[in-house]
Amino acid sequence: MSIGAKLAPGSFAWLAWHEMRLTWRSRSRSGVTRWIGYAMVLAWFGFGCFLGVILSDQPIPIFPGIRTAVLAGSIVAFTFMTAQAMIGSQRTLYERGDLALLFSAPIEGRTVLLAKLLGITGTIVLTYAILLLAIVVPIATLGHPRLFGIVALLGALALAAAAFGIAFTLALAMLAGPRAARTVGQIAAALFGGTVFLVSQIASHSEHRQNSMVAVFNQLHARGIGDNGLSALPGRAALGDPLAILLLLGTGLLLFLLAGATLQRLFLSGYQDGGVRLSRARPTGRRIARLFHAGLFRSVFAKEWRLLARDPALAFQIILRLVYLAPLAFVAFGGRGNHPPLAPGLAFASVLIASQLVGSFAWLTVSAEDAPDLLAVSPVAKEQVDMAKLMAALAMTAPLGVILPIAIALQTVAGAIVTLGCTAVGGGLAGLVELKLGKPGKRSGFRQRRSGSMVATILSMLIAGVFGAGAAVAVFFLS
Amino acid sequence: MNDPALRIRGLAKSFDKPVIAGLDLEIAAGQLYALLGPNGAGKTTTLRMVTGLARPDAGTIEILGIDAQRNPLEAKAITAWLPDEPMLYDKLTPAEYLAFVAGLWRMEPLGAAAEAERLLQWLDLWEQRDTRCEGFSRGMKQKVALAGALIHDPKLLILDEPLTGLDASMARAVKDALRAQVDAGKTVIVTTHILEVAERMADRIGIIAGGKLLAEGTLEELRGRAGTEGMTLEDTFIRLTSGV
Repeated sequence: MSIGAKLAPGSFAWLAWHEMRLTWRSRSRSGVTRWIGYAMVLAWFGFGCFLGVILSDQPIPIFPGIRTAVLAGSIVAFTFMTAQAMIGSQRTLYERGDLALLFSAPIEGRTVLLAKLLGITGTIVLTYAILLLAIVVPIATLGHPRLFGIVALLGALALAAAAFGIAFTLALAMLAGPRAARTVGQIAAALFGGTVFLVSQIASHSEHRQNSMVAVFNQLHARGIGDNGLSALPGRAALGDPLAILLLLGTGLLLFLLAGATLQRLFLSGYQDGGVRLSRARPTGRRIARLFHAGLFRSVFAKEWRLLARDPALAFQIILRLVYLAPLAFVAFGGRGNHPPLAPGLAFASVLIASQLVGSFAWLTVSAEDAPDLLAVSPVAKEQVDMAKLMAALAMTAPLGVILPIAIALQTVAGAIVTLGCTAVGGGLAGLVELKLGKPGKRSGFRQRRSGSMVATILSMLIAGVFGAGAAVAVFFLS
Repeated sequence: MNDPALRIRGLAKSFDKPVIAGLDLEIAAGQLYALLGPNGAGKTTTLRMVTGLARPDAGTIEILGIDAQRNPLEAKAITAWLPDEPMLYDKLTPAEYLAFVAGLWRMEPLGAAAEAERLLQWLDLWEQRDTRCEGFSRGMKQKVALAGALIHDPKLLILDEPLTGLDASMARAVKDALRAQVDAGKTVIVTTHILEVAERMADRIGIIAGGKLLAEGTLEELRGRAGTEGMTLEDTFIRLTSGV
C-alpha cells in the first residue's frame, strides 16, 4: 500500500503527498538522459562518501570568516531559490491547470495553498539537495553530525523563499493584473536570480578587481557582517548550533505558514483572474493589407519577430544569459583600469556570444513553434522555412553581435572584420544545429523544457570553440 | 476522365500494432464525403497520411491525380487540413495569422488581403482581427483556423471534427460554407462523430473500422447493405460496426 493510500483523503497531508509526488515525477527526463543523470548523481554521492571516509577522523577547519562565507553563500542561494519560487508560483497559478480541480473539490483553500507551497519548496529543495546533500550527508553521517545543520539551513531557506516567491507573485498579480504579472514576474525572477552576480561584478570591477564572489565575501567580512549577531545565524546553523538551527527553521516555517494563512484570498483571486480573457480587443482601424507580404521568407520572418516581441519575458530570459558575460564588457571597453583590452580574447568572446544567442533564438523559433503541423501541410520545403527562421534568429542577434567587433576595431580593423565574419559563420552554424536537432512544441510549454538537446548543446559549443579560436588566432596576428 | 479528388491504394500504417491495414478508398471530386468510424478506427491517421503529416508504411495516395508521396508540395498546394485541435499561434492576431498562412501558400499579397478581409467578416471575426488569439474561446479559434484553411482556395478540404466547439449558428454557417465549397466544384472530406451532421450533409459516406474500409456509398446504399431501410445513419452505423 502506498503512503498516499494511508493518508486521509482530502487532508493536508494527503494533498501534500500528491504535490510531492508530482514534484518528484516532474524532475526526470526520459530514456538515456535520465540514466546518465542517475549515474552522475550516484558518482557525485560516491565522491561524497569518499570525502566522508577521508574526513571522518579529521576536525573541520574553522577558518576566520567561515560564517561570513556561509552567509554569502546563503544570500546567493536565497536569491536563486526565490527566483525559482516566483517562477514556480506562476506555473502553479497560470500553467499547471489543476487548480480548477482542486478549487472545485470540497477542500479548504488554505489547504490547497499550503500544499502548493510545499510543492514549490520541494522543487527548490530537490534542486539543491542533489548538489549539496549528496556531499554533506555522507560527511555528516561518517563523523561530523553537526554538519546536518547545513540540511536544516537549506530547508529554512527553501521554506522562506517559497513564501516570498508566492507573496511577490500574488502581490504583482493584484497590482498589475494577471497578464502583466506573468511577464513582469518572469523578468523580475530572472533579474532577481542574477542580482548577486551583477552586484558582485560591479563590486569586483569598481574597487578591488578581484574574483566577484571573493569581492562580495571581502566586503561583508570587512564590515564584520556574518560573524556577529543575527547575520551569524546561517553560519552558526550550518556548523550545528542547535539554537541557530531552531531559530532559522522556526523563522522559515513561520513565514511558510504565515503565507499559507494570509494569502489564501489573494491566491484564489489570482487564480480566478488568471482565467479571464487575456488579450485586449482593440481594432486598429488600419487596413489589414499591410500585414500581407510577398513570399515565404518575409512571412516567416515577420511572424518570428512578432512572436518574440510579444513574449518579452521569453526574450529577456535569453538576453539575460549575457549578464553572465558581463565581465567581458568591462574588459572590452577598458574597465580594468590601465590594462589594454585583449583583442584576441574579445574575438573569441564575440563568437561565443553570437553562437549562444543565435542558437538560443533558433532553438526558440523551432522549439516554440505552436503550429508545426501548419508548416508541415503547407506547400513549402522544410529547408526554406528553416532558412527563414535562421535569418530571423541572426537578425535578432545582430545588434548585440556587432558590439565586440566594434571594440576590436579600436585596435585592429582587419581583426574586427575577421571577427565579424567568424561571428556570423559561427552563429549561423550554431543556429543551424538547433534548427536541425530541435523538436517543435507548444510555446506555452516552452519554459518547462528549459533547454534543447544535449547533442545540439555539445555541437554548438564545438562550433563556438573552433570559430572562436580561429578568430582569436587571426586577431592575435593582425593586432 | 477526371481524376478523383482522393485515391488511396493499399495504405498501411502501424505504430505498436497495425492501425491502417491495406486501405483502399476513392473519393470523386466535387462532393462532400463523410469519413466515419469508431474511436481508434484510423480516420485521423489516414487523413494525416493524406496531408503528409504521417508517412505510410505502404500504399499510394493521389490527390487530384498528383502523387502525394512523390510530389508532396504540389499536392499540399491544393489541399487544406483543419484538425480538431486548431493549428494557431496564440500570440498572433487573426489577421496576422491569415497573412502568415497566405505567405506559406505564396499567395499574391493584395488578393490574399482581400480574401482575408472577406473571410474575417463572413466568420464574424472582423472586430477581433487585431486581437491576439490567446484569449479566444475554442469556437473562435476554430473559426480562425477555418479561415486559414479556406484562404488559399483549396481544391480538397479535409476537416477533422470541424464543428467541435462551435455554437449552433456558427455550426450552421460552417455547414453552409462547406456546402458552398462543394457547389463551387471543390471536394470536402470530413470526419465527425455527430452522425446527424453526416446524415444531412454528406453526398457519400465511408465507414472505416480496424484500419479497413468497412462500407462505402450513399446513405441509401449503406442502409441497403446494413438492412436498416428507413432507419437513421446512427442505426446503420451501429449495425455495420457492431461485428468489428
